Amino acid sequence: MKINLKKSPSKNSRLNKVEVEKASSKSLNVEDLTKVFSKGQGFAKSTIAAVNKVSFSLDLDRPEIFTLAGESGSGKSTVAKLILGFETATSGRIRYKGEEITDLKGKKEFMRDVQPVFQNPFETFNPLKKIDTYLYETEKNFKMAETDRDQLVEKSLELVGLSLAEIKGKYPSEMSGGQLQRTSIARALITDPSLLITDEPVSMIDASLRMSIINLFKRLKEEQEVGIIYITHDLATAYYVSDRIAIMLRGQIVEMGSVEKVLDNPLHPYTQLLKASIPAPNPASKWESDIALSDLEAKEFSQRGCKFSGRCPKVQAICKECEPENYKVEDRDVKCHLYK
Amino acid sequence: MSIIDVKELKAYYSTEKYGRIYRVRAVDGVSFQVHKNEIFGIAGESGCGKSTLLKAVSGLIKPPLEIMEGEVVYNFDDIRLDILSLKEDKQRRKVRGVRISHVPQGSMSVLNPVRRIKKSFHDIVDAHLKIEDRTLFDDMVKKHLDALGLDWSVMHAFPHQLSGGMRQRITIALATILKPDIIFADEPTTALDVVVQRGVVQLIKKIKKEQQNTLIMVTHDLAIHANLCDRLAIMYAGKIVEEADVDIMFNQPKHPYTLMLLKSLPKLGDKSNRVSAPGAPPSLIHVPSGCRFHPRCPEAMERCRKENPELIEAGKGHRVACFLEEGSK
Repeated sequence: MKINLKKSPSKNSRLNKVEVEKASSKSLNVEDLTKVFSKGQGFAKSTIAAVNKVSFSLDLDRPEIFTLAGESGSGKSTVAKLILGFETATSGRIRYKGEEITDLKGKKEFMRDVQPVFQNPFETFNPLKKIDTYLYETEKNFKMAETDRDQLVEKSLELVGLSLAEIKGKYPSEMSGGQLQRTSIARALITDPSLLITDEPVSMIDASLRMSIINLFKRLKEEQEVGIIYITHDLATAYYVSDRIAIMLRGQIVEMGSVEKVLDNPLHPYTQLLKASIPAPNPASKWESDIALSDLEAKEFSQRGCKFSGRCPKVQAICKECEPENYKVEDRDVKCHLYK
Repeated sequence: MSIIDVKELKAYYSTEKYGRIYRVRAVDGVSFQVHKNEIFGIAGESGCGKSTLLKAVSGLIKPPLEIMEGEVVYNFDDIRLDILSLKEDKQRRKVRGVRISHVPQGSMSVLNPVRRIKKSFHDIVDAHLKIEDRTLFDDMVKKHLDALGLDWSVMHAFPHQLSGGMRQRITIALATILKPDIIFADEPTTALDVVVQRGVVQLIKKIKKEQQNTLIMVTHDLAIHANLCDRLAIMYAGKIVEEADVDIMFNQPKHPYTLMLLKSLPKLGDKSNRVSAPGAPPSLIHVPSGCRFHPRCPEAMERCRKENPELIEAGKGHRVACFLEEGSK
């Protein structure tokens, strides 16, 4: 294991050793990850912290489905982009198997181990390119097959319920959204990854086919031992499929814990609001009360103290002044002054 | 009293390729009635023809969309109007905005990006009412926005300065400022977050309560239908397969397709296995023979492959197009 001591200086060498041992197991650690976007110039320049000190860790020896949930503009997709290296973090660290991967140059092992699945299957693939070439290209890039390339491609397609005969020589326009998304997942599985990062993978898929993709993730976790970061705003599917969930609000994780605990009995007022806003497919439980909506997103980003204090029904004087810390309540982290 | 009466409507898209004409049978023989003051929902997968049905019923017909057969009649208090016989676009334009209005999908591309919101309001009001006095116009818009709980400050903003939810609410406010009798809404809550989605549903309910209008809503999200609608029709491959009150639809569905859709919905607090239907929706150019659902139906019989089931009564206000229902009688 290569450890870059320069990038993680520590005064206490013993502590450093402990940290190295802990991190050398197969895990992904995200520590105080921050991404600041700025817009405008000169005096009109303003900044938005799209991701604000986000920390979580995944143990890939025990694969799990970890959901990042939140409204649009909560920074959940930016976290995915930062992990995948599409964006560079302003501060904070991402470590994979103990190695810092903030810069992806020469980190082919990480790129093989962590694979993305994107939101819109119709845009993922080039419409002028045959779809099976993506699978062969990925194989070639990572030199996965030793002998038979077709066999490897066939095997990964089999995992998603397709066959090579079905997709060979076809263009993306000849296939349905469900099939394309399956192919997209099959492409990611070619490299035998230990983690899939899926950004809203089912939001473009039809209602009647959505569950087949969700069930596929469940099966991949159980049978192929692939960990999955599932990014979504759909809490109903998140509850169905995931083990752990982190609720994001304006760049911060406000509540994190096991999905049953967080969604059955939410503690943070924002999670409570989210839960109450999930429409139930049952005419007997219609929404009766009215809720407050945020008018301007930018205002909430620059809010001092708790970002939710502008709409929170349980707001106190302290909320508008200082930012709450993470408090451990009932086996989960809650970022709220109520649980001090 | 029905306010909209649709009879045997057929709306096809025609395309020509290598000298052959292909017809996409997006709406293929649909009949239904919408009662006054109700919210009527139309649900189905993408590509089942629900948006085309809404276009045809609201008279937004532009090539390649063609009306092959059928009629759509609006029964207003003072006038009976056959929208499809109004050939001239000018005549239809008089009806739009005042009598009927349309809330389009995708608020991102609806509002003019280079005009302030106020100008958009001005455009729509100006097209129908000739208000010379600007203060009168301001008062009218202000009253409307106040009633909907929207802030006056958004009027001076450009669309890109507003969030997706705000834009969608503005679009709804624009569509309802002239108090139309009928509102057609095409996926008004899709692509919005849960909290904002709830805000939009809240807004639609509020408008309906205040203006006493009839609403036809198309979305694939059954949970939204359960929350908002009075009656619901399920479409599959260009046809209505089931129509009922929402309570009946969600508690005693009859058509195998409806059953399948409802079974696949995940619920909070329930981790039991959910399965989705095998196969995919058919192409509307080459529709399956007989019942269009038979290739995916778990209960398909020999008869389903040959004959097409008609919508039959299965209870009060409950219509199903399935031979199973016929057999049980």
